[in-house]
Amino acid sequence: MNQPLNRRTVGAVLLLFAGLLATSPAGAQTKGAAPKDPETIAQIQAWNGECLACHTEAALHKPPRPGMDIKALSEALTDPAKYDRSNHAGMACKTCHVGGYRDWPHKGPAQAVPGKAETLDCNECHAQKSWHVDAQVAKSVHSKNLSEKFTCSTCHDPHVYQTAAKLKEPAKIVAQDNGMCLSCHQSDEKFAAFGGKLTPAKKRPDIDAIHAWLPNTKLHWNAVRCVECHTPVSPTRTLAISHEILGKDKAQRDCVTCHSQDSALRTGLYRHVAETESAELGFLNSAVLGNSYVIGATRNTHLDRFGLVLIGLVFAGVLGHGLIRILAALGRRSVK
Amino acid sequence: MSDRVFILPLWIRLWHWTNAALILLLTITGASLHFADPKLPLVPFELSARIHDIAGLALAALYLVFVVANVVTGNWWQYVPKPGGFVERCKNQIVFYCWGIFRGAPHPYPPTAEANFNSLQQIIYWIVMYLLMPILIVTGLIFLWPDFAPKRVMGMDGLVPVALLHYLTAVLIVSFMIAHIYLGTTGTKVSSLFKMMITGWHEH
Repeated sequence: MNQPLNRRTVGAVLLLFAGLLATSPAGAQTKGAAPKDPETIAQIQAWNGECLACHTEAALHKPPRPGMDIKALSEALTDPAKYDRSNHAGMACKTCHVGGYRDWPHKGPAQAVPGKAETLDCNECHAQKSWHVDAQVAKSVHSKNLSEKFTCSTCHDPHVYQTAAKLKEPAKIVAQDNGMCLSCHQSDEKFAAFGGKLTPAKKRPDIDAIHAWLPNTKLHWNAVRCVECHTPVSPTRTLAISHEILGKDKAQRDCVTCHSQDSALRTGLYRHVAETESAELGFLNSAVLGNSYVIGATRNTHLDRFGLVLIGLVFAGVLGHGLIRILAALGRRSVK
Repeated sequence: MSDRVFILPLWIRLWHWTNAALILLLTITGASLHFADPKLPLVPFELSARIHDIAGLALAALYLVFVVANVVTGNWWQYVPKPGGFVERCKNQIVFYCWGIFRGAPHPYPPTAEANFNSLQQIIYWIVMYLLMPILIVTGLIFLWPDFAPKRVMGMDGLVPVALLHYLTAVLIVSFMIAHIYLGTTGTKVSSLFKMMITGWHEH
């Protein structure tokens, strides 16, 4: 009699444990993820509609409520079109913006109604990834210089950001990712907001001048990401790009990392299209060819062989000809 | 000293050796770029790229000088294949290289002040200087300023055909260079033709 009861007890404990796991950060990777059922989708759209009634550029010009703090609102705008393309599309605003943000007027330290308004950290959902990323970011040039001021959203705007796996097309990945770097590194105003607070204050270096050594600089920036050179090889298998951003002293300057047969582009920028590539027409790294001809990396093996064989034949031909001339001259001399 | 004739003015000799040095430099650096691989003993990529760019621009400028000087001095006429048994003369020259040269036969068409080149030289030098070199230089300049390349060709980046043409032309010019240097040993003595390219005097 005792045995079935025991089994039931063990089963219940296991279920309870599984339930606890599901609510722990590791089990919450999909917390608030975009739902599939139409009812919940409609509910989220209605919720988000309430937020977006105020938090868009359009609403700023035509405030829907009287007495709004327009300055505070202007710093908290979202582009719904970009949000709908982002990786967080379909999620409710209040999945991340919790506490005092859930009601209006918002409660918060800076609000008319006191209270606690907070936005959840990324690691609330992205716990596993954060665990790897945090260790890399800690070694990054940004952390060394800016520490607390530098968070995930300093680079990755969660309302806009799309992962490389979602974008797939290298040109789009490059445009988005370099945009994140250049938004500060090509803006004196934004750069000063961070670098200006350092002692001594750091002035934004001219991005063209410090990369003058790189041939066809502009072409490189349109074709590859800054992080292609400014990160070390990722130590984590699940993260193709390390988050340890390297300053100019440690950044990659060995051209053959990309410009060679075993180009790093295959496992980096082009990893999402490289899987589908075929060695058509004998090109190496043919996945890259649609966007760029990369000297050393996208050469054609048939033409290479043809060239080397032709030059080899000419070389062998003149050597043979020379040898026969020498032998013939020796022969004529011995006849005399 | 009636067995020697002055055929090469100073500008041709200066152009020839500058051209030769640049082509050699471009071949070494070009191969280092094209076959870039950390496992191969090549000139480092960054250095190769810099040298190749500068030497390439110098070659383009030198080619312009070559064309202008050829027009001004009338030297361009030397390259023009002359009618009246041209094919026959080429055939004789080939037969000489394949047979006569081994038997110690004299050159069938030794150079004169009026005709520096034999017919085979005329046609090959014409192809190299007025067909291959322009292709090599134009594709090289597009490589240097890729904004001038077509955006896309057959679903590929527009630089792909430019790169392939540049490589193929370079292969042909390197093949020519090897044969050209070797044929330089076929003078009266092995060193005679090299000496001629320095002094301008051809020894019969």
